Order: sequence, then C-alpha cells, then structure tokens
Amino acid sequence: MEGASYQRFPKVKIRELKDDYCKFELRDTDASMANALRRVMIAEVPTIAIDLVEIEVNSSVLNDEFIAHRLGLIPLTSDRAMSMRFSRDCDACDGDGQCEFCSVEFHLRAKCINDQTLDVTSKDLYSSDHTVVPVDFSDSSSGFDNTEQRGIIIVKLRRGQELRLRAIARKGIGKDHAKWSPAATVTFMYEPEIHINEELMETLSLEEKTSWVESSPTKVFDIDPNTQQVVVVDPEAYTYDDEVIKKAEAMGKPGLVEIYAKEDSFIFTVESTGAIKASQLLLNAIEVLKQKLDAVRLSEDTVEADEQFVFHGRESFFLHSTVFDKY
Amino acid sequence: MDLEEEYDPSYNDEDEDEITQEDAWAVISAYFEEKGLVRQQLDSFDEFIQNTMQEIVDESADIEIRPESQHNPGHQADFAETIYKISFGQIYLSKPMMTESDGETATLFPKAARLRNLTYSAPLYVDVTKRVIKKGHDGEEVTETQDFTKVFIGKVPIMLRSSYCTLYQNSEKDLTELGECPYDQGGYFIINGSEKVLIAQEKMSTNHVYVFKKRQPNKYAYVGEVRSMAESQNRPPSSMFVRMLSRTSAKGGSSGQYIRATLPYIRTEIPIIIVFRALGFVADKDILEHICYDFSDTQMMELLRPSLEEAFVIQNQQVALDYIGKRGATVGVTKEKRIKYAKEILQKEMLPHVGVGEYCETKKAYYFGYIIHRLLLCALGRRAEDDRDHYGNKRLDLAGPLLGGLFRMCVDNGKDVNLQFAIKAKTITSGLKYSLATGNWGQANAAGTRAGVSQVLNRLTYASTLSHLRRLNSPIGREGKLAKPRQLHNSQWGMMCPAETPEGQACGLVKNLALMVYITVGSAAYPILEFLEEWGTENFEEISPAVIPQATKIFVNGCWVGIHRDPDMLVKTLRRLRRRVDVNTEVGVVRDIRLKELRIYTDYGRCSRPLFIVEKQRLLIKKKDIQSLQQRETPEDGGWHDLVAKGYIEYIDTEEEETTMISMTINDLITARLNPEEAYSETYTHCEIHPSLILGVCASIIPFPDHNQSPRNTYQSAMGKQAMGIYVTNYQFRMDTLAYVLYYPQKPLVTTRAMEHLHFRQLPAGINAIVAIACYSGYNQEDSVIMNQSSIDRGFFRSLFFRSYRDEEKKMGTLVKEDFGRPDRANTMGTRVSGEDVIIGKTTPIAQEDAQGPAARYTKRDHSTSLRHSETGMVDQVLLTTNCRRVEICESEVRIPQIGDKFSSRHGQKGTVGMTYTQEDMPWTMEGITPDIIVNPHAIPSRMTIGQLIECIMGKVAAHMGKEGDATPFTDVTVDNISKALHKCGYQMRGFETMYNGHTGRRLPAMIFLGPTYYQRLKHMVDDKIHSRGRGPVQILTRQPAEGRSRDGGLRFGEMERDCMIAHGAAHFLKERLFDQSDAYRIHVCERCGLIAIANLKKNSFECRGCKNKTDIVQVHIPYACKLLFQELMSMAIAPRMLTKDIKPAKDQKKKGA
Repeated sequence: MEGASYQRFPKVKIRELKDDYCKFELRDTDASMANALRRVMIAEVPTIAIDLVEIEVNSSVLNDEFIAHRLGLIPLTSDRAMSMRFSRDCDACDGDGQCEFCSVEFHLRAKCINDQTLDVTSKDLYSSDHTVVPVDFSDSSSGFDNTEQRGIIIVKLRRGQELRLRAIARKGIGKDHAKWSPAATVTFMYEPEIHINEELMETLSLEEKTSWVESSPTKVFDIDPNTQQVVVVDPEAYTYDDEVIKKAEAMGKPGLVEIYAKEDSFIFTVESTGAIKASQLLLNAIEVLKQKLDAVRLSEDTVEADEQFVFHGRESFFLHSTVFDKY
Repeated sequence: MDLEEEYDPSYNDEDEDEITQEDAWAVISAYFEEKGLVRQQLDSFDEFIQNTMQEIVDESADIEIRPESQHNPGHQADFAETIYKISFGQIYLSKPMMTESDGETATLFPKAARLRNLTYSAPLYVDVTKRVIKKGHDGEEVTETQDFTKVFIGKVPIMLRSSYCTLYQNSEKDLTELGECPYDQGGYFIINGSEKVLIAQEKMSTNHVYVFKKRQPNKYAYVGEVRSMAESQNRPPSSMFVRMLSRTSAKGGSSGQYIRATLPYIRTEIPIIIVFRALGFVADKDILEHICYDFSDTQMMELLRPSLEEAFVIQNQQVALDYIGKRGATVGVTKEKRIKYAKEILQKEMLPHVGVGEYCETKKAYYFGYIIHRLLLCALGRRAEDDRDHYGNKRLDLAGPLLGGLFRMCVDNGKDVNLQFAIKAKTITSGLKYSLATGNWGQANAAGTRAGVSQVLNRLTYASTLSHLRRLNSPIGREGKLAKPRQLHNSQWGMMCPAETPEGQACGLVKNLALMVYITVGSAAYPILEFLEEWGTENFEEISPAVIPQATKIFVNGCWVGIHRDPDMLVKTLRRLRRRVDVNTEVGVVRDIRLKELRIYTDYGRCSRPLFIVEKQRLLIKKKDIQSLQQRETPEDGGWHDLVAKGYIEYIDTEEEETTMISMTINDLITARLNPEEAYSETYTHCEIHPSLILGVCASIIPFPDHNQSPRNTYQSAMGKQAMGIYVTNYQFRMDTLAYVLYYPQKPLVTTRAMEHLHFRQLPAGINAIVAIACYSGYNQEDSVIMNQSSIDRGFFRSLFFRSYRDEEKKMGTLVKEDFGRPDRANTMGTRVSGEDVIIGKTTPIAQEDAQGPAARYTKRDHSTSLRHSETGMVDQVLLTTNCRRVEICESEVRIPQIGDKFSSRHGQKGTVGMTYTQEDMPWTMEGITPDIIVNPHAIPSRMTIGQLIECIMGKVAAHMGKEGDATPFTDVTVDNISKALHKCGYQMRGFETMYNGHTGRRLPAMIFLGPTYYQRLKHMVDDKIHSRGRGPVQILTRQPAEGRSRDGGLRFGEMERDCMIAHGAAHFLKERLFDQSDAYRIHVCERCGLIAIANLKKNSFECRGCKNKTDIVQVHIPYACKLLFQELMSMAIAPRMLTKDIKPAKDQKKKGA
C-alpha cells in the first residue's frame, strides 16, 4: 500500500520574539496543521494555577468564592509545568493533590490597619516553591513600570478588614478551565497575495487612486510620491475585508486588484499570559502535539487499523529542532 | 455649531448669547441635582406632613360627649347636664422613634427598621382642649377649659429621605456610616421591615364639565357630566348629568329634544327648567339668560324650546321644589318636608364645589346654565365632544393625597373612642400601618377598598427600583375590552414614558412617569382669587348675564368665579407673576380663546413639565446663565430653582400645553428666525429642554431607542427590570429575601445622557460583551446564543444569589413558647448547606393532656425551616435579634452561566445559552479576538432592532478611542459618522470582520458583524427551573401527584395531551398516564349490590354487611378520585353502584320486578 508520499516539510521562520510575544511564519503545511498548533497552544499546554483555596479569615467585601476565583486567574510562572504531574494521576499523594510533585502551596496574610485602603495583590502571595510564583510584569520592558506596580490586585481592604488563606496550585490545561491557558492570544492569518492590475490602475486619476487607497481601513496600499503609482506597502495588513475590491467595482473598474490567500502559508501571532515564555509556549505546544500523536500511534499498534491516518499524521514533527537553532 | 460661534469674529451680540442643545444638558443636570428621581413621592409626602395633616385635624369637628343622665329618684343632680367637648389643635411630629421592649426609646434608623422588621414611623402629638360645659337648672352655663399639650395620638409612617426622615440631607459619607446606600433615592416606607411604595393612582379630574356624544341608537344624544367635589371634603364626588334626549326616542311631544338633569338622591331625571325654577329663577327669560347668554343665538334658543315647553306646567319655585322632592328618597311626607328636602339637596348635594352654604343659588344657577351651554355647543356641533383620555383631564393621587385620605378616615373614626387620656393611639398607628402593609386602601374589612396601592419595593436592579417608585396605575377594570384608555395619547407627550408599560392585561393601564415630570402638590386657591378680585374680575352679583357673551369666563379649579373683560391683560399678568414666582409656579393658566374661558388650576395631581420660555423666537435663557450654572461652587446656590425664579423656565401642565407652541429643539428656533417663511411657526412660546426626556427610567437605558421598532423598547423596558447588577451598595447589610448581584458589572460603552442621572454608571447591570452575529455550528437557533466558555471561566456574567430565611419564636401561651434551642451564630456562618438541610431548628411544645395516664411519648414537635430542596450555598450571614426571639439566615450561592440561562441585549433581544464553546473552538478574528456571545442573524430582520447594530459599531469605535459613545435618542448622530470613525480606527466601516473557524482553521465564507454590545443577565436561570419526577409526593385528598417544582410535583398530562393520545389510539399509554402513574386505587365491591364491601386482606375475609354476602365480592381498580366521589355521593344518600357483571336484560327486568 505504499502510495505516493504526501509528506511535507513545514518551515518556521521567527519574525519577532519577546518574552510574552512571538510572531512567526509557518510555511509549507495546511490549515489543519496550523489550526492544531493554535488550538494546542490555547487549550492544551499545561500551566500551574491556583486550584484550591482554604480561607481562614475573610472580612473583606468580596465573598470567599469571589476571592478564590480571582486567585485562580492569577498567572503563575509555569516552567515546571511540563515536568509536573497532574494531581489526578499522581501516585505520591493518592490523588489528593497536596504533594510536592503535583502541587505548590501559597499563603496570603493581609490586614489593613490604617485609614488608607490596602490593595492586596499577587505580590502578597507567598509561594512554597520559588520557581512557581505569580507573574511579575514590573520588570518587563512592556512599559508598565512608570507607575508603581504592585502586581495583580486581588481585593481591597479598608481599616480593620483582614484576609488570611492558604492556596494550592496545580497543573492543568486550558481545556479544563481558562485559568490554565498559557495563551492570551493565539491567532494566525493566511498570507495574502496581492496583484494590482497596473494597466487598469493607470487609467485612474490621482484623486481616484487616493480614494481607492483610502477605502482600505488598514494601510495596505500607498501612493508613491514620486511616480504616483499605487504600491502595496504591507500586504499582511490586509484583513480580507474586500473593501478595496468593492471600491474598485463601485468605481467601475472590476479586477483592479486581485487578492488571494495562500493556502499553505500562515503568519502566527502568539501572546502569552506570562506563565511561560512565548517561545516556550510554542515548543511545549509541539511537544504536546507529538504526545497526542504518539497516543494515536499507540492505539494504532494495538488496534491495527487505518495505516493511512498514521502515515499522514506522522509527517512533520521534526521542525522545531532545526528552526530554533537557526534563531 | 458652538465652535463656529466661538471663532467667528463677526457674530452679532444676540447670537452669541444663544445656547446650544448641549447647554440644555447643564440645565437638566441642575434639575436632577436638585430634585433627584423620586421628587413626586417626596414632595407629595412633605405636603401631607406639613399641611394636609394639620388641615384634616382642624377640619374634624369637635367631639361632644353628653352623658345620658340616669334618673335617680329622690336625688337631685347638681347640674342638669354636663357636656364634654374635645377639640384638637396644633399637631407635632417628631423624628422616627422606636421603643425597645424594656421601654427605652431611641431614634430609629432605616437600616435597623429593615433588619428588625420594625416600622419606620414617627410619633404624632396633638394639643387637645377639653371643655366641660355644665348646665345648671336655672339655665346658667359653667365652662371649664383644660388644655393638654402634646398628647400622643399615634405613629405616622415616614417616607425615607422626606424632610422628616432621619436621613434627610445627610452627606454621602454619613449615609454610608449609617449603612445606607448613598444612591438610594428614598420615596418609600418601611412597614414591618419591608419596603413599601405607594403607587400613584390615576383618576378623572373633578369639577370639570365633560360633554360626550352618545353612540346611536341610544336614548340620549348628548350627555354633559360633572363630578363635583368640594375642596377639603372627604366625600365621594357627587355626579351630575345633564342629558339631551335623542330625536327618535322622544315620544309624542313636539320636537322632542328635551334636556334633563340627574340630581343626587333623586330617582328620576328632572327637566332642567324645573331645576332653575327650584333654584328661584322662574321667568323664562331669566333662565335662558343663564344658559344661552346671547338671545340672538337663535339656533341655541331653538334647542331649548322643547325643554321650556316641557316645564310649562310648573311655574313657581315651590311647585318646582315639590316636583323634585316627590322624586326623592322621602315618601309619604308632608309637602313642607318635601320642599325642605329638595331645598337641602339643591344646597348641599348638587354641585358642592360651587358652594354648600346658603345663598349660593345664583352661582349654582350660573354653573348649571354653563353645563347646559356646553352641552348645547356640542349638540350644535360648534365644539367637539370632550376627550376622556386627554391627560389634562387626569389627576394623579400620590403618597400625600392617599395618606391624607387614610388619615382622615382614621381621625373621623376615632370619634367615639377618644376621651381625654383614653385617646387610643392605636387607631391611627394601626390604621395607617394596615393599609400600607397590605395595600388595601381603606379600612380593614370595609367595602370599597382598593387593592395593590402599596407594593413591596422591587429590589432586583437599581433601575427596577427607580422605575417602581415612578409607577402609575389606572384603576380601570383590567378585563375591560375598551382599548382607548390603554392607548398612548398625544397629551401624554413628556409626561408618561411611551415605551415602558407591561405587556398583557395591564398594558397601557400601568404607566411610568417620564424623566422630567412634576406632579403638582396643590396650592391654595385664595391668592389667585384675591388676585383676580384686584385685577378687575366681576363676580355674578355685579353683572347682568347680558355681558357674558362679550367677556371671558373665569374658572378657578373648575369653579366659575366671574368674568373679565380684558383677558389678554389678565393672562399676561398672571404668567408674568408666575414666572417671577409671585404666584406659585405650579399654577396652571389655560386661556381658551374660542370658548372665551380662562381656566386657572391650583389643585394637586396635575402632570406638568418644565420648558424653556421663548419670546420673539428666542430663548430667554442665555449662554451666560449656563456658564454661571456650570461655574457655581456649591449645588445650593443658583441651580434649578434659580432658573425657574429668573423666569427662564416654567412648568406647563397638560391642559396649558394645549395653549402653547413648543419648538422641539433649539435649532428649530434658530431656523425659524433665519428664514421665517419656511419655519413651522412664527409664534413659538416655549422650547423643549430635550426631546429624549419623554422617556422614563427604563427606556432611558436603551441606546438608540429611536432606531428600534417600538415594541422592542417596551420589551427591553420590562427586561431591564430583571437584569442582574448591583441593586444597592449596601446589599451586604440588608437581608432581602431574594437578591442577585453580578460579579463584574461594567458601565456600558454606549451610553445615553440620561443614564448619568439614573446612576447607571455607578450601579450598572450588565457587561460589555463582544458579540458576533453569526451562524456557527447551529447551536444558536431560535433565540439561543452560543457563549464563550473560557470567558465564563474568567468570570463573565458570574453572579451571586442570596436568599434569606427567617423565623421567630412565637409565644403560644403565657409560659409556653417555641424554642430555637441554642442558635450559634459564629459557627454556622460559612457552612456549606444544600438540599433539604435544616437551617433554622425550632421545636414547638405539644400541649400535654392532663397529667393522668402514661406520659406522652413526645413532648415537642419539629418546626424547623429547611433549605429549598433545589438550592445549595453557603450560610452568609446569621442574625439573631432581641434575646434570640428572631433569626434571619442569608444563604449565598455563586451562579455561573450555563446552558439554559437567559441573557438579553438592551433591545428586547433575549435568548438562552444553547451551547458553550471554549476559546479555541470559537471563531476568531485576525487580531485573535473571540466573541463572548454569538447570536443568530435571524434574530434581527423581523424584529428590526437597528439600535442594537448601531450600538455595536458605536461600541467598537468607543472601545478603540477609549471614550464613551453617546447613544441618546433624537440627536444628530448618524450611522455614517460612526462608520467613518470606525474606518479611521482601521476596521471595516460597517463593523464586519473576517473570521476563522475555530474547529478547522478555515476562513468563514461570510464576514461577521462583530463588536461590543452591552448584555444583561436576566434572573431566569435553569437551575431554578430544572425539574423532573419519577414518583414523589401526592396530594392528601385525591392522592394525585402534587403540583409545582417546589413540591417536587408531577408534570401535568393535560387535556390537550390526552386528546393527542386518543387521536393516536394509544389507549394503554393513556391509561398508564392517567391512572397507574396517578392515583391508582383498589377497592372491593359486592357483586350483588354494587356497593363497596369490607375487605380484610390479612384475614382473607370479605363481607358485604348489607347483603349478608361473603362470597360474591370482587376487586376493582379505580382512581382514588373516583372512590372519593363515590364516598361523597354516599354521604349525600346517593348509592353509586358498581355493576361488575354483564347484566342480561332479562335478569335486569327481574330485578326491577323484585
């Protein structure tokens, strides 16, 4: 049954990389692959988040459940997450999820003693494990540091109010609860291919050209100040809104521009919550995808079915090593 | 507009002064700053406390007590008679107080009243004078006077935030310290711990002549009607009808159109001429002068001819009076008495508002003549019939008049009980409390009470509370099919909200006040009368009827006081004085030029609204006034009242509005000035402050209501009241039986100007959700929506639900009382409770029968309160009061949105969650945005809620610019403007975005309309509704399954379902539903007599005693309800026989023979 090989060799080119931001191209593969990667990044890369809260004292205005929910949403540095165990299949603690292999303990004690309102923030959370701490944005270069940053506000206390609690953070994935999702945004677009019909374009007056260029809400086209020709400045700014095409039609010049979406080229934008670095998020995602495929192969071994599926699925999972070395 | 004016150097002086529509909002802010939102309630109550109450006490006649002297032979009393006279003087009201059970009194704060189930009321004191008049035998009188000052006569419930409330004029900080919400507006009462609102009651205005044309065929052609009620008189209005017979119904007579009047207490109609003669106007000429004024008006004279002829036989006053007296209630008395009786009726019962004293005949005759005059005008077609639904003919009874009526009843009824110190304080205290607590207006058990006047204040959302305080009810039968009173009337413009009314039975009968209505509280008429006197009004004694046609008739509160020959001057002066506040601003001045009438109103309950005054096509208010308004330091100086006092703004009531020419916008005035040829009017007298103020509280929250189909605004007005938000800021200090609080409420991105005054930004009820209008997976069909599960995880529309349970230890005798055991507050708080957990344990002792006999096994019965079986939560708060006598427990639960919960936008677009998808499954845009909610596009075209679409794109612009969008109706915001702004932000101008399928990663073939839209979570949630039952509790009587979810009842298999099964021929299924699964029962029947037999299944013995039959007994399966019926029949001596064998006709005949 050795038919023609459909194997492709996807390429990744990183364009921009920051701690919490990453922009890269993914080429030579199809939408299903790109989407699988996106979905895994959002929903299946594990992180650590507070999952259990024991409240000792809470005299704040928010009720216990409210505070527990807010604590859960605080991103924790989760570089350990990949190597950690899910507490549901942790042998060390019979699944009660309180051992060092599957959990991290936090403590919070805050009391307001003067007349000024006290902000209880993620900085007041004390972790039992120095590798798992609330994400700190203050030192990052993202420009938050001009004001005094005190972390993520949990609750505000007025004079006499107190909050004392113990929290346990566990490993989890975004599919179970959004608090475990490491991604703030993961999106990709098909790379557009824009062809201007120069001949037709030259039939337009400058005025018409400007109005045509301005019909696009984003800056895709511009007019060259010297030649007064319409040029494509940034094809990726195109949002597939068809505005320029409709405008051309309205001007009585259909076919002024032709825009196609390349079927095998994607531009990814990844923003991380800070739980893991954006680059690591991508690597972890690929790792998770591999594990999932391994699971499929395993079941295939036992069931002896559908070779083709495995054949197709196996194709492209050696991309990361090559790509990241390059960067 | 204003920019141009600032930079244009060649402006002329006057144009610079002109204000813009934007400046009008400064005026509106000043209004709300000063008045708040429940002014009508507070004003009305203050008027009651400050004036009405004293008036009622003054009115009430002295109490006279004459002891019936006992005849004592041989003993001569010192005095022949002793009379005690008690009269009441000045009243005093203190601040709200309460008395603790140990006798200590302290000022009462609303918070304490709410939590401890007390009544927020203040003690009322009165000065009492007792006079003892002793009459000696020789006729001399000895009077002893004794004064008692400040005698306690009862407690009066106090309206919150009124001038007698402890919270009056407290600062925001003080209010918070007292545990009050600073945004709470007051305007309600606290009776036994529950908040009660008095709903304003609409009624027809009294002392007003209405003329109606009767629909033919009818005995009458025209009817004139007056419901006359004298001021300060607690009597039902006395109606008077003047009817003109229709031509056809006239029997025999000449031309036939007689005019007859109905007098109170007189059984039959009296010809009008006879009434005049009875009043002392005998000559035909005299009478005609009073009706027709102008003898050259032959048409009208002709109409009166038949009436004159009809009364030809009665030509003097005595006979006329006798004629009336004969038709009265007195039968078989002497002629003198009859005449006296008729005289009294004419004096006291007929048209009492004209006067009830002696020598009112002239005035009454004029007024009576006027009624007939109006009737004839209508009959001649010179004037249209009156409009019953015109809002100028309506009056609103608010808290003040309602309480006044109640108080009067209480005072009146106190007559025989009060005796110096034996003044029963309870009469007033409980009298007022009863009505406020139950809503039955009037005395307990008395007939003629109105139900539902006082209602429990709705505390679901802040807006619902506000709207409830501004509600209005028309007590017209809900069943009445007549559509007219329910319809929106032109005259309701600016007074009643055109959108906010319930659907169904009460549609159009329950209304809500528009934002800027002022309901008059009433002022005295005598300053007006004095003024009229001074300015040359001639009263009837001075004039001859002949001058009436030339002069203008002057009415004050419906009462004709005289005529005036220069009404132009009079009206101008009156208006000028009113604008200077020399005459009360709420006085209505209506000049009817066609009818030659000037009607002046000072009564309470008229709807009026403020308008800018326009003179010479120019507003009197100028730019500099707006500037000084905006620059003032404290809200006290200047402000609204100042604008009114300076004569820039005046209140115009519904009737006066008819005589004005109001320009809709300030720009209309400018255009009218610039090119007068094209202007709609060149005689504008007033200008609208802002047209969006015609809306009420709930409709003011809708963005772009002027772009929606009108019923959608009505739907949203109803739904806005079910939205969750933060209903008061002190919700943690209150123990509401039911409360919903949203976790993360947001102020809307797209707002209206009115929201600022409704505090919707401070106490919002919704979230700016990212909404996509798309078909995606098909889980949002038929008004369901898809919701983003990841958003839900992050706290989207999470809410808290509170329910409190309360109980108290009731005393069952002197010693016995119920027992809570040992309630423990500290340890129960924070406990998780669920299902039917007992949360208040209580036992009641069982009355023990005498000591003899064996001691009863049980001494106490369990009377605990358990949690609702479908709810779970945490004990949030436990309150124990006065030595454990009462317990209140508040339980809270977090409600996370789930499939089946109900949500809605602000455009009457409600839907339930049909599916939740996590972020990766949701469609996403190029920027990575996933919608929170996906609604189906089919929800839009047929409902025409364009406002929602505009809200969405404006929201998108607002979010990008970091500003609020203004969606106030009737402004010049256009979709094109918004679109351009959106295009500048780098988005497709109409709000469409390319999206990708979250499951596959492919581009969606259509562009999706996406943007932030303000959504509301409604209180209907599946967890409160989900219900199923296999078997469960049954009713005791019928043994059929119980009804309702709260009782774990069955689901009804009703008649239509039954019909369906019959149609299918599913006989066995039907039997199973209706019998086996319901009340299956089994009885034993004697085969001989067919009656129920005795069966002992254990001993296996069967017997029919009547037939002495122990063998022929059969078992029969019948419904328990059937068995019950048979037993009931048997108790009525009817024998229902169940014949179990096929009866052969022969046998049957034999039986009959035997």
